[in-house]
Amino acid sequence: MNTSSHEISLTVNGRAVEATVESRLSLADFLRRELGLVGTHLGCEQGACGACTVLVDGRSVRSCIMLAVQADECELRTVESLAPGLAMHPLQDAFHKHQALQCGFCTPGMLLRCLELIEENPDITDEEAREGISSNSCRCTGYQYIVDAVVEAAEQMRQ
Amino acid sequence: MPTVREHPETLNWVGKSIRRIEDPKFLRGRGNYIDDYSVPNMLEVAIVRSTEPHARIVSIDTSAAEALPGVAAVVTGAAAAEVTDPMPDFGPSPDKHVWRCLAVDKVRYVGEGVAAVAAESRAIAEDAADLVHVEYEPLPPVVDWHDALAEGAPLIHEALGSNVPFHRSFVFGDVEDDYAEADVVVSDVLYWGRSGGQPLETVGAVADYDLGSGMMTIHVNSLTFTSFLFMLAGTLKVPSNKLDMHPHPAGGSFGAKFWEVKTAAIAGMMSKVTGRPVKFMQDRLDNIANGDHHGSDRRYEVSLAALRDGTMLSMKVKVVDNYGAYIQFGVGHHGNSLAQAVGPYRMRSIAYDVTAVLTNKCQQGAYRGFGSEVGNWVLERMVDLMATELDMDPVEIRRKNFIQPDQFPYFIPTGNCYDSGNYEGVLDKTLELADYHGWRRRQAEMRAEGRLVGIGICTCQERSVFSATEFWFWFDQPVGVTSSPESVTLDIDAMGAVTATLYSNASWGNSPETMVAQFAGEELGVDPSEVNVVYAGSNQGLPATGPGGSRFTIMVSGAVEGAANRIKAKAAKIAAHLLEANEDDLEWIDGGFAVRGSPDRRKDLGEIALQAHLFKHSLPDEIDSGLEASFVHDHPYTTLPNADRTDLGVFYPFVGHASHVAVVEVDPDTGKVEFLDYTAVHDCGTCVNPRSVGGQVIGGTVQGLGSTLFEEFVYDGDGVLKTPSFAEYLLPSALDSPALKVGHQETPSPYTPYGIKGGGEAGRMMAPSAICAAIDDAVGIRVRRLPATPERVLDMIEAAED
Amino acid sequence: MKSPPFEYKRAEGAEEAAALLNELGSDARILAGGQSLLPLMNLRLASPAFLVDISRAGDLKFLHIDNGSSGASPLHVGAAATQRDVEMSAHTLRVAPILAEAIANAGQVPVRHRGTVVGSIAHADPSAEVPAAFLAQGGSVIAQSLGGRRVIPSEDFFDGVFSTVLEEVELVASVRVDEWPEGSGHGFRELSVTAESWPVAIAAALIHITDGEVDRASVVLGGVGSTPLWRPEAEAILMGSDAGAEAIEAAAEAAAAGLEPPSDTFGSGAYRKKMARVLTRRALADAAERAGAAERAGGKQ
Ligand code: FES
Ligand code: FES
Repeated sequence: MNTSSHEISLTVNGRAVEATVESRLSLADFLRRELGLVGTHLGCEQGACGACTVLVDGRSVRSCIMLAVQADECELRTVESLAPGLAMHPLQDAFHKHQALQCGFCTPGMLLRCLELIEENPDITDEEAREGISSNSCRCTGYQYIVDAVVEAAEQMRQ
Repeated sequence: MPTVREHPETLNWVGKSIRRIEDPKFLRGRGNYIDDYSVPNMLEVAIVRSTEPHARIVSIDTSAAEALPGVAAVVTGAAAAEVTDPMPDFGPSPDKHVWRCLAVDKVRYVGEGVAAVAAESRAIAEDAADLVHVEYEPLPPVVDWHDALAEGAPLIHEALGSNVPFHRSFVFGDVEDDYAEADVVVSDVLYWGRSGGQPLETVGAVADYDLGSGMMTIHVNSLTFTSFLFMLAGTLKVPSNKLDMHPHPAGGSFGAKFWEVKTAAIAGMMSKVTGRPVKFMQDRLDNIANGDHHGSDRRYEVSLAALRDGTMLSMKVKVVDNYGAYIQFGVGHHGNSLAQAVGPYRMRSIAYDVTAVLTNKCQQGAYRGFGSEVGNWVLERMVDLMATELDMDPVEIRRKNFIQPDQFPYFIPTGNCYDSGNYEGVLDKTLELADYHGWRRRQAEMRAEGRLVGIGICTCQERSVFSATEFWFWFDQPVGVTSSPESVTLDIDAMGAVTATLYSNASWGNSPETMVAQFAGEELGVDPSEVNVVYAGSNQGLPATGPGGSRFTIMVSGAVEGAANRIKAKAAKIAAHLLEANEDDLEWIDGGFAVRGSPDRRKDLGEIALQAHLFKHSLPDEIDSGLEASFVHDHPYTTLPNADRTDLGVFYPFVGHASHVAVVEVDPDTGKVEFLDYTAVHDCGTCVNPRSVGGQVIGGTVQGLGSTLFEEFVYDGDGVLKTPSFAEYLLPSALDSPALKVGHQETPSPYTPYGIKGGGEAGRMMAPSAICAAIDDAVGIRVRRLPATPERVLDMIEAAED
Repeated sequence: MKSPPFEYKRAEGAEEAAALLNELGSDARILAGGQSLLPLMNLRLASPAFLVDISRAGDLKFLHIDNGSSGASPLHVGAAATQRDVEMSAHTLRVAPILAEAIANAGQVPVRHRGTVVGSIAHADPSAEVPAAFLAQGGSVIAQSLGGRRVIPSEDFFDGVFSTVLEEVELVASVRVDEWPEGSGHGFRELSVTAESWPVAIAAALIHITDGEVDRASVVLGGVGSTPLWRPEAEAILMGSDAGAEAIEAAAEAAAAGLEPPSDTFGSGAYRKKMARVLTRRALADAAERAGAAERAGGKQ
């Protein structure tokens, strides 16, 4: 069957984007396939793993179970926005220092979720970080170094 | 025996927790994973998966699918069989259980591919896959090991004549004598449920067949087993020198991308059929149901014989392994178990009877431990049972039986060699770090309050660096010693900057680039963060085997060492010329050559490289331009099995050790297990990057926890897969995972560069034993079946009350 | 796992959504947060021809406390209000803390950022948290159709697995959650195999205590039947009791009696039945403690 297309305009990582999207296109596929922002990953496409996490209007969202057309007029942030230049974001730096990643596949989604956690709670503790990241699966690290990195990044970002 | 190495006393880079070289690209979302890679004019593939566990394919109607706009080709299994040969199969008698990229004539498990669609997008390909109509004639499903062995059981592969592709009874040592001498024999029946690596990223491939040149180029995140790519070329019916594999980092593997070859085969086949580049990216449903990498699925009848004082003498193991519909790696999983069959204990003999059965499940592949994790769990379950029987402390029975530091190299009854070890050292560290005695006190207090608190300990081996000889024992005549080599090229450019080229698909969550950079730093005196690491396509490649069996770090360390030595040999000649000194008077010091005794007369590697690149004609005649060298590092220590297989030879000789202590509390009403504390101390020889090792230990432990408590691919009695997605197949979340206390001990291997042993499978090889012992201790009844789900634990509690 | 094709329509208000449903017929589904529906579509377990998106409908994006006619002030949740907003709202904590607790247990924060309370109720998953809490506290569903609105009491709303009494041409515009009087306490307990997996079973309970005696109680179980199950037998045992351990145990037993829960890979029917009892006991203990505390606090005033 034919599916309708829709005009959308939104902001992605600070830049205005206009696009025509098919109804069924997920936000994740829009970012990956149409905008080439392949840092947003797909692990399950059913909202279970969190690999596709992006920030929509400042809030973490599973982009595999949101339609691109639903992002019309929204402001999006993907992992590509964290460090547009040479220097890494303090959160990325903390992940690097603590080896809070192994294969790196969960990392973009994890970073955005962690950024949200720190922004909501600048004094985040180990326990709060652990609870907060339980929304996102990581199959490699066993989470511990991620907790370490979040707590340290929060400290850095407070300064 | 291999030469015993003298390890340098001071190291500059090996042993430092430097930041990982591979991380910046991942942190920026520029990992270049396979699904990030696309080429113009590319089609995408979706698979029509079988809905039946066991059925004859009566007909397939592809007309509606073909008519859908955007569809380029629909290929059934029968059509695929015309353009491809069977899949690479390391199993016994592959012609009797033929495995193809798509099923032909009949399907053997839910999820098996029956047709492939290539279309302009994955979404259209899925639309078309839905329109393919397959008519099945159902056959009775065979799901349980037990049903597979039953008289008159339906056959998974008629050509085999039974559902048993392999059975063998091994006896290593004087088992019967040892049993006769024993005071006590304990026995049990244990089940290990099927779990799997389930990395967050599935397997994908982009294949491009060039009709003009006949080249088949495949970009892939799997197939680390590079030396065996010629087998894939065979499947695709292309000459082996016309297959070029380009590696992409794997978003996790844990074995599941060791040799996941079907995805590449399907992509290659579809590219040949359509004449266009083709991407096949599994989705999660493909990956779980049809990814060919489920883990072990075993039932054990096992006994352990000991003297009254706790001295363990011998073990008898009878294991049936439910392999699913195919058996691609043969019973290599049991080879892995046999590499460390007696654990860290001085046991004199072991009988091992293994039966592989075929059923209507997805086939097994590799999962962190490759079957040896199951052997560890069974052994430790039995040691705990013996301790209970003899009323011994679980710590003391282990201590009493440890192989002692002065007994290495130690040959276990199966023939494998343990290179070095200090098991008591690890145990003592663990007890201290865990505050074991403190926890025992607290446990008594908590129990007095009615809480079900348990403490479990295990002491387990981690064998590393297979030589692949464990794949041999179904051949009557071994075909030869397999080396499983790893190679590297080091290139020093005119500015003295180092590029290291790797030849396998090495990146799957381990730290290959960091390892290589640290070794290059050590050998050449450069800063690892300035080493550029790249990957070669297989067609221009050197022999390589990639990660798997905790082998990569060790093998590549030897390759870097060898290549660096070749570079230094050439550099020494150039330096001697420049310094007008005799080569023999030079010494390598701080990244350059200096005249012995006059340290000011020196040339740094950079200066030498500049000369080598630009001023060849100022140098002696025999020196040609450039400064690069390659080295193929072969397995340092492997021997053949003997003819009657009472000795399997040395095939996994670098053997690490670990001890874990788990403290759990069990909810008496629900059976849920919570962690109060967790400690892991590992000895994988010299740690190259201690933080990386710690990361492997923690991640592996959490995976072990998953296999122990809830992860399982469940097939019901009718062969229906009940866990097809991440809604049902559960991964541990941060809240399910304990905060670990991790300790390291370093007992170097005498046979490897720097004394490194493998550490990549650690954690998962130990955690099940420690956690089960803790649950036993909490509820007073033994865990016999994994996963120990809340319901199963509650059943145990209720049984204990009766 | 890509969704089958469909037509996307955006409704700017409840009336427009109802008009679209009327026009498009049985092939249309309402899309609010999409956190249940879109996964099913990606899995190709659902394939509606039309989705009517109400997530931006201005007149459905609200959360407030109504001025109730009979003195009670129900929490009123519009169909476009996200779970996270409802979870974090002071209104919810005041009128329906059980709902906040249920939401906190449902899915993960990023899912709750888009998922809606009304969507979860309309989806009618028998093992979901929000419907169980809604039914336990009681209230009503306001259904919108082209012809207007009707009010469906919460206890009449669910009629089967993923099924409600809603007509094809109706959507849920909002739900009202009744306010319970001072001196009430709630308990919400669920058991799941992992911290993030679907619940095996759920118990949601409220108790009101006057002068040390239970004079109102509500017990609802999730995950053990084809809908969230209201357990009047348990309530009857609690009424007039002191909500002590004995009464609670008897009520928990009654709550689980006669259940024939389904089995799945998380647990058998028999296990679910046992858990229903355990969780009811725990939820009631929480509710009794809170109610007791509330009554004591009230008494001091
Ligand atoms: S890919 Fe979106 S949650 Fe897994
Ligand atoms: S780093 Fe591999 S999944 Fe998290």
